[in-house]
Formats: sequence, C-alpha cells, structure tokens
Amino acid sequence: MTDAGQEHALAVDGLHKEYPMPGGGRLTAADAVSFTVPAGGSLGIVGESGSGKTTVARMLVGLVRPDAGAVRVAGRLRETRTPRGASARLARAREIQMVFQDPYVSLDPRLTSRQCLTTALRLHGRDDSLADGLLDRVGLGARESGARPHGMSGGQRQRLAIARALAVDPKVLVLDEAVAALDVSIQAQILRLLGEIRRDTGVALVFVSHDLAVVRHITDEVLVMRRGIVVEQGPTDGVLAAPDHPYTRRLLASVPRPGWDPAAVVGA
Amino acid sequence: MTAPTLAPVGGPRSRQPLGVRVAGGFLVLVVLAAVLAPFVAPYAPDAIDLSASLVGTSGDHLLGTDSSGQDLLSRVLYGARTSLIAPVLLLGLAALLGVTLGTLAAWRGGWVDTLVSRITDVMYAFPGLLFTVLIIAVFGAGMTTSVLALGLAYTPTVAKYTRSVALAECRKPYIDAYRVQGMGGARICALHLVPNLGRSVVGYLVVLFGEALMSLATLSYLGFGAQPPSSDWGLMVQEGQAAVVQGALLPALVPGVAIALVVVSFNVVGVRAADRLGSGR
Repeated sequence: MTDAGQEHALAVDGLHKEYPMPGGGRLTAADAVSFTVPAGGSLGIVGESGSGKTTVARMLVGLVRPDAGAVRVAGRLRETRTPRGASARLARAREIQMVFQDPYVSLDPRLTSRQCLTTALRLHGRDDSLADGLLDRVGLGARESGARPHGMSGGQRQRLAIARALAVDPKVLVLDEAVAALDVSIQAQILRLLGEIRRDTGVALVFVSHDLAVVRHITDEVLVMRRGIVVEQGPTDGVLAAPDHPYTRRLLASVPRPGWDPAAVVGA
Repeated sequence: MTAPTLAPVGGPRSRQPLGVRVAGGFLVLVVLAAVLAPFVAPYAPDAIDLSASLVGTSGDHLLGTDSSGQDLLSRVLYGARTSLIAPVLLLGLAALLGVTLGTLAAWRGGWVDTLVSRITDVMYAFPGLLFTVLIIAVFGAGMTTSVLALGLAYTPTVAKYTRSVALAECRKPYIDAYRVQGMGGARICALHLVPNLGRSVVGYLVVLFGEALMSLATLSYLGFGAQPPSSDWGLMVQEGQAAVVQGALLPALVPGVAIALVVVSFNVVGVRAADRLGSGR
C-alpha cells in the first residue's frame, strides 16, 4: 500500500477556494485543506460560521469548483468540473452524496417520499422496489411513504433526505449541518440512525457542524477550521479533551455548561 | 414566512370574498354560453334579416339587432367562443416560449441570461401593439396572425416573470440535491424545476388572460384581427359604431359590456388565483 489513496474511502489533498469580495479583495474560504477518511470512518469538520466548512463540503460533492487541490474517492481522482456524459456523471454521484442542512427546502415539494426515492433509484438504473427497504431503513412508515414534505416533521424530512442520499449507494456521505435545524431529541435519533447506517453499510461520513457535542458523538476524527485554514486535526476525543490550538480551546469554552461564564469567553 | 394572521388560512374549500365568487360565477356562465351557444342562441350568429335592422330590445330579439338585422344576443353568445379560445391559444404560445426562455436564462446564467434579458428588454421597450401591427402588416390580417403575433408580444412578459421565479427556485437546495444525484441540467429543469414553477406561472397567466382578451379585441376593433362575418366581440363593437350615430346604442354597447365584464372578472379572479397559487404550498 504505497499509494495512500488506496486504503481511504476519501482522500482530500490541498483543497483551495477563494471568492472575490464586493469592493475588491479576495476571501479565502478554504486554504490547503487536506484529510483522509477510511472506509466506514467518520470525520467531523468544525468551526464557527464563515470558517469555510460548508465550502469544503460543497467542494467535496462538486457543487463548488475548487481553485486547487484534489479529491480522491477509493483512490480515484474526482474531476473538478461536472462531467458531460450521463454515465460519468452518475458514476461520480455514486462516490459522494450529501445531506443538506435544512430539510424544509432540500426536498422537492411536489414529490412524495416514495417518489423522491424512486426518482433517485431510477436515475441510477436501480429497482423501484428498493425504495421500501430504504424507507424502512431510515424509520419511515407507510404513512410517510405517501406523504409530501410539507406533511412531514423536520425529523421525518431529514430521514427522507438521508434515505435519498443512500438510494445512490455512495461510498462517502457528506452531512452539512444535517441536524442543526432539528430539535435536540430529534437530533439524537438522527445521530443514532447515522451511526447504525455507518456500521451496517460501511459508508464513510463527513460531518460538517458547528456543534461540538454532535461531533463528539458521531466522529472518530475531527478537523477544526478557522477562516478557511485547518488549525487543528486529530482523533476527536484527543482534540476535544486536550486542544492544542487556542481557537479550539475558545470554541470548546463557548459551549454552555453548568457554571459557564459567557463574559470570560468573549473577553478571552 | 408570511405575516401572521388571525383569519383562518384558506383550504381549497374555504369561502372566497363575494367579489371573487360573483366574478367566478359569471365566468362559468360565459364558458357555458360559449360551449352551449348552438343550443341557447335563438338565431344563427350570421343570420341576416334586413327587415329587422336595428330593432331595440323586444321579445324576438332580447338584446336587439345590428344594422344587418343579426340578433345581438346570438352573436354575443357565439362571440364568447373566439373571445375565450383565442386568449388561451395566445397565452399557450407565450407560455411555451416564455417559460422555456425564462428557465434557460435563470438556469444557465452568464451570457445566456444576458442575451435573453437584453432581447426581452428590447421587446419591452417596443410597444406591444406596434409590434403586433408590424407582424400583421407583414403576414396579413386575420385571427391566426393576431394570435401568433400577440403570442410573441406576450412572450417577453412571461419570460421575465418565469426568470425571476426560476432564479429563486434554483437557489433552493433540492435543486442542488438533484445535481449531487448526478441528474443532468436539462432533466432537472424539465422534470423538476419547471413543474415547481407551474403554480406561480399559471397564476400569472390567469392575470394576463383579461389583458390578452382586451388586446385581441383591440386588434379586431382596428380590423387586424377577426374578419366579418365573425361574431368576435371586438369586431362587433367596430361594426356597431356606425349605428351609434343613428341613435342605436345596443350594437356597440352589448359586445362592449361583454368585453368589460369578462376582463374585469378575469382580473378579480386572476389576482386572487395568483395570490393563492404563487405563495401557497
């Protein structure tokens, strides 16, 4: 195994993205972001708003074109621009799928849960009947199967969004603040579901979140970003227990807990 | 999202304001009149009876006759057909072209958007009636040419509206989700984006209907649209004008009132429909 990419489900090397700012100047949204995730592994990307974590997530799935850097899935380099041909596009989709932040707008309002899944299944030449198994897998029943998004709760919609991503049978699943819009109790259910899916399917998870408690719960490794730069990365337990970088320490200190003093955080 | 309101949010069966119900009821009557004209009209629309020229309201002719002795009630009933079908065809053409162009502009952005937007701007700057008359001057008068010309004249309006709603829709993450799934742009637009615009676009077309009917009547009145012996309302107003001088108001008044009532009704219903279709989910 000389080629490091071979053993990893996802290998990201030197991703870089700049945006022109209104009134001149450039904003570096991501600078030299590199990490790897083993098959069945789970990586968290944390940081405050504007740290560039969502840009990284969107570059992974190809919604944003990186200025530089490479993304490899199971050793295969992903093209930075969307391929022209349908078969290349579909093959690319089977590498990485994404679950979006807000399930209220990430589902097609016209389609029932089942139609939402069969659309994805048909696109990839898979059988419609797999939809029932997927709905069952994410804990949606017969009632939800015929319901449209506006007839479902936030948690149910996010379950459907996860099922839709799984319909393609991806190697990597990117979750961009996937539980941020949900109630805390629903968050726990969704996180448990994701843990089960990861165990059962061996899909690698990339979990983008501002919520350290969520990241602690679901990831093996963590990457801390600030202003587009990775300031710290390593095993989740280690980084969160003994952070090296002052920014990580401040991020941890910002989590409310008993005896917590907001003034001390802001003053630091 | 929307302002909080204490009024019950309307379901499909909720009661509409009185004006909307009256206007809607009237439009249903007009549609029925158009469909059932051969059965309810007392005379053929083009039956000439010179002995009964310009009679006022009477038992034989409820709304009187025109200078050729044609029964005005029968003509107005038959005229509802052209008056309703022609705007549907015209708006159908405008919707086909406008939605295609507007969606293309919103989806592709860049130079495609610039090109489409500039073309619609230029057509906007050009008075619609002038544009239509220009096309008719080239291709000849008649109902078909009028419908085609007005269809083209309404295209930029529909394209501009579609572009604006499509831009907002494209930003929704479910469109990104289709991209991430590996779906091609053409397929996303045709199968998922445009159907999701359907409600707003249809609401907008209903509002445009009254205006389109008016434009067609104007063309017919000017002699560019329907040709005699058609019982088109615009043409009837024009034919009835001469009788006004002779003291008979009905030949111009009857079709004129018909146009006014239908246009007003469509506007009342259309504004309501656009409100509900555009925002409601």
